[in-house]
Amino acid sequence: MAPVAPRSGDAIFASVERVNSELFTLTYGAIVRQLLTDLEEVDEVNKQLDQMGYNIGVRLVDEFLAKSNVSRCVDFKETTEVIAKVGFKMFLGVTASVTNWDADGTSCSLILEDNPLVDFVELPDTCQGLYYCNIISGVIRGALEMVSMKTEVSWIRDMLRGDDVFELQVKLIKQVPEEYPYKDDE
Amino acid sequence: MPNKALGQNGYYLPFVSPLNSATASQIHNSFRSVNQCKNPSPFDSSKRMAAIYSLYIINKSGGLIFYKDYGSAGRMDTNDSLRLASLWHSMHAISQQLSPVHGCSGIELLEADTFDLHCFQSLTGTKFFVVSEPGTQHMDGLLKQIYELYTDYVLKNPFYEMEMPIRCELFDINLAQAVLKDRVALLGR
Amino acid sequence: MIGVGKIKQYTNVLVKPLNKGKQEVSLSAFSFLFSELVQYNQTQVDNITELERRLEDAGYAVGARVLELLCHREKMAMLPHVLKDAVADSLEKGTEHEDEYMISEKELLVNRFISIPKDKGTFNCGAFVAGIVRGVLDSAGFPAVVSAHFVPVEGQQRPRTTILIKFAEEVIFKKCIVGVSFFSSNILRNLPVILSFV
Repeated sequence: MAPVAPRSGDAIFASVERVNSELFTLTYGAIVRQLLTDLEEVDEVNKQLDQMGYNIGVRLVDEFLAKSNVSRCVDFKETTEVIAKVGFKMFLGVTASVTNWDADGTSCSLILEDNPLVDFVELPDTCQGLYYCNIISGVIRGALEMVSMKTEVSWIRDMLRGDDVFELQVKLIKQVPEEYPYKDDE
Repeated sequence: MPNKALGQNGYYLPFVSPLNSATASQIHNSFRSVNQCKNPSPFDSSKRMAAIYSLYIINKSGGLIFYKDYGSAGRMDTNDSLRLASLWHSMHAISQQLSPVHGCSGIELLEADTFDLHCFQSLTGTKFFVVSEPGTQHMDGLLKQIYELYTDYVLKNPFYEMEMPIRCELFDINLAQAVLKDRVALLGR
Repeated sequence: MIGVGKIKQYTNVLVKPLNKGKQEVSLSAFSFLFSELVQYNQTQVDNITELERRLEDAGYAVGARVLELLCHREKMAMLPHVLKDAVADSLEKGTEHEDEYMISEKELLVNRFISIPKDKGTFNCGAFVAGIVRGVLDSAGFPAVVSAHFVPVEGQQRPRTTILIKFAEEVIFKKCIVGVSFFSSNILRNLPVILSFV
């Protein structure tokens, strides 16, 4: 098959069907609210949001691959760039920037200035420990795991907690080699 | 579809025997061509009516999660289709190991006397393959399209459990339309 | 969404989106999120009636806010222009009952990619949309029972979804006295438009 050129995030976002972001934002809000009622503990809600994000990530990655035509990334650096410029854009209509690389190139930050999840949101005093956008970190972790990268994703800065931007730290734990279906001893 | 579509013998043989009849050189060609354009087919597709015999989707552990045959040619019972799926899964993996090409992503096309097998594997390890009449063109486009239908009507369905057999009405409906459109397009070419 | 009742949030809500203009996300992002909402709620229930109720509750929270946003921004009249998506096919008054309204949609946005397994019977994820409608109406002072139903269409492979609105008795009473107020008719007329982005 002749390789097809990868498409830019803007081009994909312009071509896909879109919905009013308020519906998306309010639906997410309804989910968070439901979790707060069901689970009561803020920590549990954080965990559940991350888990739900993970579940979405393992499904969403295929759509990302199908629509973007990206082929296997050469390294983790390229991967994070693609997430920031193509992934965020094609789903949420915003782009992120990648900074704060560590020396061995296994950890970096995604900076998000615009985040449709948090429109109209302000955390009440009872929810101060809540990572409201924890679903996003789950999505990234889940999606990367499906293409053989084990990562840890955590929030460094959060606008809902008074920071000026959202900052997500993505740490590559290990790159799982492609699975070979049969082990020698089988 | 006229009977011509079924090939010279009038019907399509079960998979296993045609697999044996695929020559070593043809398989070798497939290996060589994995990452680049496939070799021009020995058949002139414009003079023949091309047809898809069947479609398979295999999850990343080699389990058959979807099977559909089109028309009477090459119909297989459940056991045979399961066997073929796991056989293809292994062959595909072995081809990756044996290929002299670095970073080979496995067989994309297997040409045999009585059929072609076109395979597309997503980076997440799910394989989509169609068995078609020899010389059928543009199957890579169709496979890509099926992959997109899968991301829409299977992966976005909350009642679908990952890695499990696909039972989604909307996927069936849209798949049938895509295959039909593909046939019409082929007739037009 | 959280702490909706706090007054300071209103200012936040009012100012921000106006400055930003119309925002969109991909339908896929919404669909994956909605799919996960359904999956999560499936783990919380024993039967589909309960699942429908929980989806409706989630929708209600959205609906209550939709009206709030629209009213505060005085966008009600502009709605049709703001939301370009296809308008719901029709809003009809039930013929049999004075207090019933129906909204028919060929395909609800939330159902676009969803196939209901045979063992789920008549379950319809449109319960979420019904919840939104109920939330909108309720916060406008017109309590109603709202439900989503599949209705088979002749010659079509797939059934359409009908949202059935049954107003509470007090609403009928209100109507008798003051007639259909501008507000209620405006809301009802705009409901299909509100729905069109659902």
